[in-house]
Amino acid sequence: MLAALLLPAGIAADAYACGTCSVGDPTLTIVGFEQPQANRFRTSATVRHRNDRLGEPGVDELSLSEQRMELAGAYSPIDRLTISLMMPLVHRLVTAVNLAEADIWAPGDMEMRLRGVVWRDRKFAPRHLVSLIGGLEFPTGAVETDAEGVALPLEFQAGTGSWDPIAGLSYTMFLDPWSVYVSSVGIFPTKGTADTLTGISVRQTVLSQFQPWRFLGFQAGMEFRIDRPGYIGGVRDPDTGGHITYGTLGLIGLPHEKVLVHATAALPLIQRLDGNHREGFAITAGLVYEI
Amino acid sequence: MRSKLPWVIALCCASSLPHCMHVSDGIELDIAYQPEATPAEIRTDMGYRVRLERALIAVGQVKLVPCESLASHFWELIGPARARAHELSTPTSLGVPLVLDLMESAGMPVFAGTLRPPPGSYCGIRFTGMPADEDAEGLTEESLDMMRHSVLIVARIEDGVSAEAWPVTVGISETLPCELPFDEPLVFDRPVLEGVSIAIDHTAWFDGIDFAEGDAGTVQRQITDNIRSSLTALRSYGTSGL
Repeated sequence: MLAALLLPAGIAADAYACGTCSVGDPTLTIVGFEQPQANRFRTSATVRHRNDRLGEPGVDELSLSEQRMELAGAYSPIDRLTISLMMPLVHRLVTAVNLAEADIWAPGDMEMRLRGVVWRDRKFAPRHLVSLIGGLEFPTGAVETDAEGVALPLEFQAGTGSWDPIAGLSYTMFLDPWSVYVSSVGIFPTKGTADTLTGISVRQTVLSQFQPWRFLGFQAGMEFRIDRPGYIGGVRDPDTGGHITYGTLGLIGLPHEKVLVHATAALPLIQRLDGNHREGFAITAGLVYEI
Repeated sequence: MRSKLPWVIALCCASSLPHCMHVSDGIELDIAYQPEATPAEIRTDMGYRVRLERALIAVGQVKLVPCESLASHFWELIGPARARAHELSTPTSLGVPLVLDLMESAGMPVFAGTLRPPPGSYCGIRFTGMPADEDAEGLTEESLDMMRHSVLIVARIEDGVSAEAWPVTVGISETLPCELPFDEPLVFDRPVLEGVSIAIDHTAWFDGIDFAEGDAGTVQRQITDNIRSSLTALRSYGTSGL
């Protein structure tokens, strides 16, 4: 009798706490991939590690190891719109060929994105969503300078120091236990620190997710990036431009109704970057908290 | 909406967090030239007395030679010499051209620059003398003719026995590559500051030459050989020492 009385309350409590349930679909999504739902507010902390090699080996090669913590919040005022704000805190270790090191800790460039759903197959628990993405990267990153106060090259900066508009399109399919996310986003940088103009970058993401259990999902995908060359003082930087394709594998879990954790490993599969530029293995791990 | 505001403010405040950069030096090798002090008169091993009036050497490039590539550098040495107006500087080479006026030498080192090589074993230095270009350091109005010469010597030779004297001018216009091996390899496996001096003993440039007997070509060839053997690379252990 008591159990019968408490059961509806228990279901109601679950329904209120479970952010994924409240949008009519149990798919676990990280910030940016979710279905907008009025008054949904999510925060996240994501840690990323990556490494790069730029320059001619034994001559002017710089080895970069970067760790970023991205603090973000995403709010949907209505069912078709999500506004997100992301602030990275960057640690960068730059090592020259002679083992000289520059160890940089700095806030990076803040990014704001708007994602508007322009088409969905139905209002409740839509299975297909097409969204437009727009945004702007702000030059909030600290500028590192040498002893004379001259800005150091971009390799030594936590941010680009430029206003970078963002535009793109995404498609999401939810067919429990499967989901697919496809996006194409372009970043259009303006001139930034050290008279550097980073090239336009177009990033394609194809991510599939299989979620056999309510609390755990598996992800596999591809990320493709094509960059136009960058220019320093009007002169082409030879080690910029080209394209790279990563293969990604990830896990996403729900240890608590309000907390989602995820981890992804990305391995470069095809590197056709111009000049002397090699990108390495990258890993991402994060936590999303549903308020 | 009010509950979201602190999050937005917190994110915006994160952008004003302090930033810091710590830089640590890596492997550095200071290079200096150390010519001998120029005496008023040089007495050669053949008994001649040499009064130098001009003695200049133009350096085009100094390159640190990895042990494994010593053999390939040997081929460069015996191959045809190539002159380039301005060599490039890399972590293992200094391409800043420099004119050294040995008449002004008081035996003090002249700082050439700092190499920042990658880890490895280095067995010597390759010194390349070559005609200076117009922006060479040390090039003056009086030494403009060093744009045509790697080495220029103007001297007065006096026979120690007969007291007969005659002028000698030697101008080497070709590139002058010299391999200067270290006593033991320079091994870099961690950040360190070392120093190497390239000693120039121009007081030995006229040894073994019989000026009374040899023609101008023979004298020039012997002086060129003497210049090569008068250069040595000396390490300054554990410090720049320069």
